[in-house]
Amino acid sequence: MLRGLALALWGAVLLGSSLSGRLELLLRGVFHPLVALSGFVLLALGLQQALGRGTQTTNRRSWLLATAVALAVLLIPPNPSFSDLASNRSSDLGAELQLDFQLPPGQRSLTDWVRLLRSQPDPQLYAGDPVRISGFVLPQPGDRPQLGRLLVRCCLADATPIGLPVRWPAGYQPRADQWLALEGRMGVERHNGSPRSVVLVERLRPIPRPARPLEP
Amino acid sequence: MNRLATAWAIFQGLLLEALPFLLIGVLIAGLARWLSPGGRWLRRLPQHPLLGPLVGAGLGFALPACECGNVPVARRLLADGAPLGTALGFLFAAPVLNPIVLASTWAAFPHQPWLLVARPLGALLLALALAAVLQQLPEGELLEPALLEERRLGQPLAVVGLLERRSGLVGAEPAQPRSSPGTPRPSWATVLDHSSREFLDLASLLVLGCAIAALVQTLLPRAWLLAVGSSPTLSVLSLMLLAVVVSVCSSVDAFLALGFAAQITPGALLAFLVLGPVVDLKLLGLFGVVLRPRAIALTAATAAVAVLLLGQWVNLALL
Repeated sequence: MLRGLALALWGAVLLGSSLSGRLELLLRGVFHPLVALSGFVLLALGLQQALGRGTQTTNRRSWLLATAVALAVLLIPPNPSFSDLASNRSSDLGAELQLDFQLPPGQRSLTDWVRLLRSQPDPQLYAGDPVRISGFVLPQPGDRPQLGRLLVRCCLADATPIGLPVRWPAGYQPRADQWLALEGRMGVERHNGSPRSVVLVERLRPIPRPARPLEP
Repeated sequence: MNRLATAWAIFQGLLLEALPFLLIGVLIAGLARWLSPGGRWLRRLPQHPLLGPLVGAGLGFALPACECGNVPVARRLLADGAPLGTALGFLFAAPVLNPIVLASTWAAFPHQPWLLVARPLGALLLALALAAVLQQLPEGELLEPALLEERRLGQPLAVVGLLERRSGLVGAEPAQPRSSPGTPRPSWATVLDHSSREFLDLASLLVLGCAIAALVQTLLPRAWLLAVGSSPTLSVLSLMLLAVVVSVCSSVDAFLALGFAAQITPGALLAFLVLGPVVDLKLLGLFGVVLRPRAIALTAATAAVAVLLLGQWVNLALL
């Protein structure tokens, strides 16, 4: 009986995380169906164990700990600080950010822009292009805060930050972790002696964290 | 406070990603138990010190599971009386030598064909080295006590004396070796019973491993680990440490490695891809159901030395 309940609880954790959209914050999309399916299997197994007459459980103490953790996972949703995660990660993505195709400037997401700038890093090519992007405020040591996103290949443990330099409106103090939607134009500025692309903000609007905050 | 919230989220990410693979492994082990009660075919696996681990490593292709799913399958092999070398070869090599992991490595590094050969080869060499070293210990000092009891109950008396069994009916008729055709197929209910108990046991260990991995990751700046990327020896060491700390599943670690492949030496990249599936913080708890603490420590030390040598050698050849 106890074993069935413990299994069903884990099943509820997996299935609940898939249905509530929590996985969007934790795992890359390809894993979501697997998690939901496992949750369903665990629920069924738990039901079978709870109804059938199983043998005596032997290892109750360790299960109790795990069951308490399962309850905590179910009840306390994750609320990571993206800038905190990013500060702890290297942001050099090396050769991986190859661009397959180009969208028109106004439709490019922040990730598209970063990919484009890495594959063709001549700032003059983009000067004056319209920019409409969203992301979170990513503090940079020794520089103005950028607008950033997290790329995830597996789960939050391997999140890698990317960011675009932004020239913030005069007097505006961006707060770390806040999600913003920016509209403006691409400009060029000198940074450490070399030119780089920078977003010149025309309109700025705070937004809630999007349902799918992680980029593949 | 922020740090703690981030660690909690990383913990959930690691756990929710690993649990499905653990379930797959437990179900495969249960299926093996049902299909081959008493593990008759396991007796025919080679006992040879070199051939045994090789065959065990090859079993990975038949039982595709990453490292979390691998542990319950290896435990079932050992409990059913598979030769020690074969089971250890499977435990250490199968997380890399399986179709899913090889496909994901190829998908992540299509322009580096050497890696597609070097990763499975490195994993195989590491598994052979680990099996050779661990087999120097007697079974009693190597295997976890409950597993040892289960294994000895199945071994014929010609191999293990009654007193060595420590359990069972002392004084009863000598037990039939399990290879006799009389072993009945367990009912589905028994198999499910056993599998659900195994899943819960392993899940509690996985919870512990994920918690340690999440805390260490949040508190230790990643930049420290990658800062030393360009010097040959330090880069191998730092990427080994990263593999142990990050604890992601072997089926996806190639995509993670992609993120910093350009910054580091090729030997360090290979070290990351070979060591991670065998030794990481998340696995330390899980290994507890197969090996004794001393054997786990020996595994970690041997793997570290072997992978360091491998990384150095690759750097010598390619840099």
